[in-house]
Amino acid sequence: MKVELVNLTKRWGDVVGADGINLTIEHGEFVAFLGPSGCGKTTTLLMVAGIYKPTAGEILFDGKVVNAVPPKDRNIGMVFQSYALYPHMTVFQNISYPLKLKKVPKEEMQKRVQRVADMMGIGHLLDRKPAQLSGGQQQRVALGRALVKEPQLLLFDEPLSNLDARLRLSMRSEIKRLQIDLGITSIYVTHDQVEAMTMADRVAVMKDGKLQAFSPPDELYERPKTLFVAGFVGNPPMNFFDVEVVIENGEYHARGVGIDLVVPAERGEKAVGRGKVIMGVRPEHVSLADEGASGVINIVEPLGRDDLIDVRIGETDVQLLVEPGLGLRIGDHVKLHFDTENVQFFDPDTEKSLLW
Amino acid sequence: MSSKRFRGLAGYVLAAPAAVLAVAAFYLPWVSFIVNDKLFSTLTGRHIAAGTVIQKGSGEIVFRGSVMNHFILVVAAVTFLSLIVAWQRRRLVLWDGLALAILGAMGFFGILSGFGVASRKAGIAGVDMEMTYGMALALLASLLIFVAGVWNTVAVTREDPSVKGTLGAWGFMAPTAFLVMVFFFIPAFILFILSLTDLSSSNFSEPWHFIGLENYRRMFSDRFFPKILGNTIRYVSLTLIFFNVGMALVLALLTSHIRRRAGFFFRMIWLLPRITPSVVYIVMWRRMVQQPPYGIINQVLGWLGVEHQPYWLNEQPWLFVILVNGFVGASFGMLIFSSAIESIPKDLFVAARVDGASTWQIVRDITLPLIKWPLLFVTSYQTLSLLVSFEYILLLTNGGPGLFTTEVWALTSYKRALFTYFGTNQWGYGAAWGLVLVVIAIVASVVYLRVFRFDELVQEPKIDVL
Repeated sequence: MKVELVNLTKRWGDVVGADGINLTIEHGEFVAFLGPSGCGKTTTLLMVAGIYKPTAGEILFDGKVVNAVPPKDRNIGMVFQSYALYPHMTVFQNISYPLKLKKVPKEEMQKRVQRVADMMGIGHLLDRKPAQLSGGQQQRVALGRALVKEPQLLLFDEPLSNLDARLRLSMRSEIKRLQIDLGITSIYVTHDQVEAMTMADRVAVMKDGKLQAFSPPDELYERPKTLFVAGFVGNPPMNFFDVEVVIENGEYHARGVGIDLVVPAERGEKAVGRGKVIMGVRPEHVSLADEGASGVINIVEPLGRDDLIDVRIGETDVQLLVEPGLGLRIGDHVKLHFDTENVQFFDPDTEKSLLW
Repeated sequence: MSSKRFRGLAGYVLAAPAAVLAVAAFYLPWVSFIVNDKLFSTLTGRHIAAGTVIQKGSGEIVFRGSVMNHFILVVAAVTFLSLIVAWQRRRLVLWDGLALAILGAMGFFGILSGFGVASRKAGIAGVDMEMTYGMALALLASLLIFVAGVWNTVAVTREDPSVKGTLGAWGFMAPTAFLVMVFFFIPAFILFILSLTDLSSSNFSEPWHFIGLENYRRMFSDRFFPKILGNTIRYVSLTLIFFNVGMALVLALLTSHIRRRAGFFFRMIWLLPRITPSVVYIVMWRRMVQQPPYGIINQVLGWLGVEHQPYWLNEQPWLFVILVNGFVGASFGMLIFSSAIESIPKDLFVAARVDGASTWQIVRDITLPLIKWPLLFVTSYQTLSLLVSFEYILLLTNGGPGLFTTEVWALTSYKRALFTYFGTNQWGYGAAWGLVLVVIAIVASVVYLRVFRFDELVQEPKIDVL
């Protein structure tokens, strides 16, 4: 099912939940809504589900406006962070509840529930109550309940947030595989950028009710359209500097307090002559060197595979990953090399990218 | 058998007879104080084991030993039962120590105060009184029991530190236990004793008698007994079904499905009858049902062109008895139900809606099953409170119109015992009516506790255990 959101807005008095969201989700696509708490991603999802009525704008399923269609007629399945299993019903009753409401005959119901339960690997748990299941099993039941009525659209509201880290990893790939196998159009709300990046075909980044970007994960990472996207996507996050870009001897220089970097011409020319701009460099593009900007180590965080260090240059803290076991200590003076190939520039007022 | 348990048991066996003695000595003056000097006269015989003896001087007063025996039997039975309970629960030791300490203390001060009261009375009657060997022995025994109990408790606490926690828990429960004792068990016990007597305001200053179960025989053979029983069942069940549970549930569902503030507002309105003083509330109702041109009900009927405009309390007494009680009663369940409904995670409703449920289906399949425990609780609690409530009926119809039309059990008990309805206050007979309610309440409570598993209800909310 193709889903279009046209200028979708939700307000409660002065509080804005979603503000003029425009996006189109293609049939069979897996789209993640990514953003911090309160950014409006769940609000948007609940409007798509039909729980909230939009204040303005339209929701189209396959070209038809569904604003006034009640949730039960939208043919959607939904999975919640809290699993939202009915605690007084057994697993079987939970999964079969949508079918019962549709008055599906008993035999067919039995068959479909068994099939979905087997697919989810919970076929042997049908007689249990939710309280007798582990978190992972509960989420499988919730998935089964969402899938059993063969919906055309699957909505996920942070479904993995309550699971422990290891289980989250395996469920992540499981959901992704399931979505590819079944080919159901899916919207996946999350605040975890790793989930969004790894699972989604396209990621819609939201902030304060507004859509910040809507693009495939790699594009989001390499060509962030706004300062917020650049800072939100990527871990550890992008480093930002206040700089001014000038031309000297035919080279573009980005100059700030304590740094002076030569940047590629095709990037530098878009930022030159604008006065103060914000420069972004990802941690993986910064390294320790014998020559370069000098700074003092603020924090050393051993992560196992790498050490994350925080170096203060002028007024800016720069995060970078270094090999472990270098014996770096807080207060050490180091020099940093910046790989400026992928440097980003943003307008400090509009916070929009100057490059893309 | 562990040594701890054995020592506890041995202590009990040794102390039980002394405990019986002490408690009996305690209760006699206590009860005698309550029913004034009638029963007290029985204290003045010389056969009382742990009692007092008056030197024969002027008039000799006959001792009625059977009363004494009753007490001793009851206390002995209770002591014995507690022994069995304690034995089964394997909590013998701590139970013992505390029980003995309390019994001992009660006995000691009971005997002392009994002696004090008795000697004062004796002084008034112009006779001398002195402590007998039996009484001194009982005093000593109760003191010994007290010391043994304290010693046992301390020893057990030393041996098993976890007992300290238990003791702390008991300490917290003690104030409640005291209140329950003073305001339930002791009154219920006195009520029981009273119901076996013919005590009334007509023989208050003359000899009165223990008449066994005569009051109960009289009650069950009363001409209006079936009527009153039927009225009570009708009153409790109809008010419960239509208002205290039914209306409460409807209100809770409605007020939690509309806007939050509007919900609060309507709930507040429904609370108004409950916080209105009973008399004001009933006066209001009585004005509403007046004949034309006073009653507002008849005025409205007049506007609607209805010609039949009676005094509604005579026309439909039951309708108004139930309305008047129901308007007050509905708010209790409403509050409990709405808080239960609000504590259901919102996701469940969203999930049900997405699953395709209509509002009615959500109520039936999700809301009601999830508030099952509050529903049972309100049903049982309100059954009991309706059973013993009568003040609105008293004020509204006073059991009328006519003979016993709306008279319920509790009202009968009140009228017989405390209202000069039949010319006298028939304390003994009224107590018999009242005691039946007490027994029903105790039986019902035990049934509710068992069947509805109240202990689970008061633990964590069911719906949070996900």
